[in-house]
Amino acid sequence: MAAGRNWNWFHRMGSPRWFYETTGRWLPWLWVLTLGLMLTGLIWGLAYAPQDAKQGNSFRIIYLHVPASFLALAGYYLMAIAGAIGLIWKMKLSYMVMKSAAPIGAALTFIALFTGAVWGKPTWGTYWVWDARITSMLILLFLYLGVLALQYAFHSQETGNKASAILALVGTVNIPIIYKSVDWWYTLHQPATIKFTSAPSMHMDMFQPLLVMIIAMYSFYGLALILYTRVEILRRERKSSWVRELALRTQPAQVDQ
Amino acid sequence: MSPQFDSLKQLWDMAGHGPYVWTVVLVSLAVLGWLLIRPVQQHRDNLQSIARQSQRQQLQQAASTSSAEPSEEDK
Repeated sequence: MAAGRNWNWFHRMGSPRWFYETTGRWLPWLWVLTLGLMLTGLIWGLAYAPQDAKQGNSFRIIYLHVPASFLALAGYYLMAIAGAIGLIWKMKLSYMVMKSAAPIGAALTFIALFTGAVWGKPTWGTYWVWDARITSMLILLFLYLGVLALQYAFHSQETGNKASAILALVGTVNIPIIYKSVDWWYTLHQPATIKFTSAPSMHMDMFQPLLVMIIAMYSFYGLALILYTRVEILRRERKSSWVRELALRTQPAQVDQ
Repeated sequence: MSPQFDSLKQLWDMAGHGPYVWTVVLVSLAVLGWLLIRPVQQHRDNLQSIARQSQRQQLQQAASTSSAEPSEEDK
């Protein structure tokens, strides 16, 4: 019985209804936090940070490029872990989180690639090179799209979930390759600016707004993931009584009498 | 910390890098905004359709019980 009590939190967390109601209370705060940080970081980075000695103003692209790339990678781990939890413990909510993480990750990877390409033109003189970092990021985009596509490829939701989770897990091989690509194959892409093990190789006045943008992007990711997961919960639990009561309570009369 | 540009015109031009920087900002914000707006719309649409369906079922149940009752009494 003691063991059962210890696992209570785990089961409660796996309850879509619990997730829906708890995150509903967080949402207003997350919206304010995300929009506030994003606005602060962007204005700071675009108008107040000093320009780069070598790259001039084009370096300001970093304030979107690096945060989007961070979350594109971190989001992939999250998606793969959610898939693993779904496979091992057959947790419905976990699969819903995995499915929700796919379009967000794909969009962030697209932003990372797009901002990088535009940044490349004034810096390297080309929009695109088949550099190791860029190519492995492109593979990341296809992995995200693959996980998303598998969700719709099967009649049975269960099969789709398992297939998506397995692809997500196999694809994690790509993540360390992305991280290490700038060190293993020293080509055009510059090495990491920020490392956990040493001080950032950029001036503090440039680094502070970047830090704000990275926190803003984490907050954005949390917000987006919660929003998508809540839609998924409504969709899959639409027959359950708590969702119907919620819909009747929050929506004005829909049927003409 | 001081502004790097003297006018909005300079901020827009960014000494020639404006087209690159502002393209990145606009496209990124459009994608990020779309990521948030889409689930908000889907959430609202889902709740509406679930409410509509539930109300229709309630009305059907009410209609079938009220039409069934007199026939029960007739017996």
